[in-house]
Amino acid sequence: MNRALPEMLNCMNAPGTFLAGNSTDMTVLERQRARMKWHQHEHNDPIQLHQQQQGYNFSGNELSGVFSVPIPAGQAQGFMGLVCGDSAVKPDPCSENRWAELGYGSCELVVNNNGAAGFEEMINGHNNNSNISRTFSCPPTVAAEKKSNDAVLSQKISSPAGKESFKKRKADKVQSNKAVAAEDDSTEKRMKGCAEEGDSKITEQTSTKNTNNDRESSGDTSKDNSKASEVQKPDYIHVRARRGQATDSHSLAERVRREKISERMKYLQDLVPGCNKITGKAGMLDEIINYVQSLQRQVEFLSMKLAAVNPRLDFNIDDLFAKEMFPACAANFQTIGMSSEMTNSAYVQFNPVQQMVSSCGLDMGINSSDLALRRTISAPVSIPETFLDTSCFTQAPPTAIWDADLQNLFNVEFQQGRTTPFQSQPFTGSIEASNLKMEM
Amino acid sequence: MRNSTSLKQEFLKKWIKGLQVCNSSSEKKMTILERKKAIKMSADIAMASTRNGTTCWSRAVIANATESNRVVVERILGPHKSSRSVSSVMHKKILKKSRRVCSSRSRRVLMRKRDVEKTRSIAKRLVWKKTQVLKSLVPGGEFMEDEMCLIAETLDYIVSLRAQVDVMRCLATTTEFINGK
Repeated sequence: MNRALPEMLNCMNAPGTFLAGNSTDMTVLERQRARMKWHQHEHNDPIQLHQQQQGYNFSGNELSGVFSVPIPAGQAQGFMGLVCGDSAVKPDPCSENRWAELGYGSCELVVNNNGAAGFEEMINGHNNNSNISRTFSCPPTVAAEKKSNDAVLSQKISSPAGKESFKKRKADKVQSNKAVAAEDDSTEKRMKGCAEEGDSKITEQTSTKNTNNDRESSGDTSKDNSKASEVQKPDYIHVRARRGQATDSHSLAERVRREKISERMKYLQDLVPGCNKITGKAGMLDEIINYVQSLQRQVEFLSMKLAAVNPRLDFNIDDLFAKEMFPACAANFQTIGMSSEMTNSAYVQFNPVQQMVSSCGLDMGINSSDLALRRTISAPVSIPETFLDTSCFTQAPPTAIWDADLQNLFNVEFQQGRTTPFQSQPFTGSIEASNLKMEM
Repeated sequence: MRNSTSLKQEFLKKWIKGLQVCNSSSEKKMTILERKKAIKMSADIAMASTRNGTTCWSRAVIANATESNRVVVERILGPHKSSRSVSSVMHKKILKKSRRVCSSRSRRVLMRKRDVEKTRSIAKRLVWKKTQVLKSLVPGGEFMEDEMCLIAETLDYIVSLRAQVDVMRCLATTTEFINGK
């Protein structure tokens, strides 16, 4: 017993941060199983002290085994109460029958636990348990003197532990109150229930609290659900006025509008590159305008380029080709397209070119080009013969370099500030790209 | 907001369809500028039609395109859609004009009154000017009354512009690649 207790105390100290209501079903089930095992052990053992100690050791090990996974402190408390009660009333003649009943009941329960419907029965089983433990704990005088002393000692030891854990639970619940506003009332109720029971006897407290908690939690889960559904659909917008702020409806509406605008501006900040560091509406608007203008110019330029590239204006590309070729290009653009938006910084321009050159030199070093390669291989049907003529390994990197090349071309143009009507440069390969890089 | 890849794919489909329509509608040989115009218009229409007329800017783009070239737009979109959007935009235009007449006077008076708080008014005017510029940039921006609507539209417009640019660049590189070899 003395060896088992510190373990249990440790166990109770360990799970400080867990909520009691979260894992009712699993822990109840586990508790039932553990109890059943323990009871079987009890049945098998004669009523001798050292063997009982063995039993306790066993139960302690069991407990530590079960509780090594963090479990709410209340469960450990339940075990404690059970252990105390048993040690007190073990030699009671009528208790044997009760234990048998209990063992039978728990066996039934465990059988039932396989289905989901066993919850109510479990609660009933808890009622049984609580009754039994109450009857057990009532006559400590009937028990043998040694054992009663032992029981009193264990009760004394367990009482501060129980209170400690009780306080802990309270603190946890206060935290959870702060965190989850919706569960306010339910947790308060639970706290009240716990407080009421805290006044009652410890042995009763430990077992009955479990049943009450279970009942309350089962009741509270439904309440929580209803409350959550209430909270999820608010009909109004919550506006809080600080001190000195106007609270009439117009200014409130204005404030709501401004908040919405600022929220959307934040989205825009995320969307527009280089807009993160700018504070102030005017600067942000400037940046947004620049970005939109640059995008529109890009569209102009690209359409011009397309017009120049193919003279017939029919892109006979069927849907399959679009579907297959497209993700590869998209994957390319995720690396390169990022640089397109930052037209100012030379570093970002410089980087992808270098990347591509290195990927050309090494054999498919970079993931995105690798991906592009695979995609182009996987879509051989609709791609014209030129694609298939030469080996794919030499084909795929030049497309990537083209992108970078085009990017650089565009950036140069954009920085110069004039949209010259299509200067066509040959996009031939990696050497070209590196040359362009050197020029810049 | 939808996934960007699906948006791009839809845009690409519609764009190619529009290009084919443009190609079939003009038999004679086109100059490079004409081709560019056709490509840009079809791309814009395709981009706007991916939004299904839910946003102001897309409706405005389609309306503008319809003014210049009704046949192609109707072929791309089908007749019923474009007519509806045009009517709604026109309706808005009239409303806006009438409101502008009313509000311009009061705004001037307000500006005069605020002369005391100079810095604030300067900042406000700056923001207002930039808002006007943004309105001129976003298609259909002139009809957007409040700032919130404008910003939301700008968000949407930027997203689709990005998709458009990506797809166009992709197509440009691939066609160039094919033609070059």
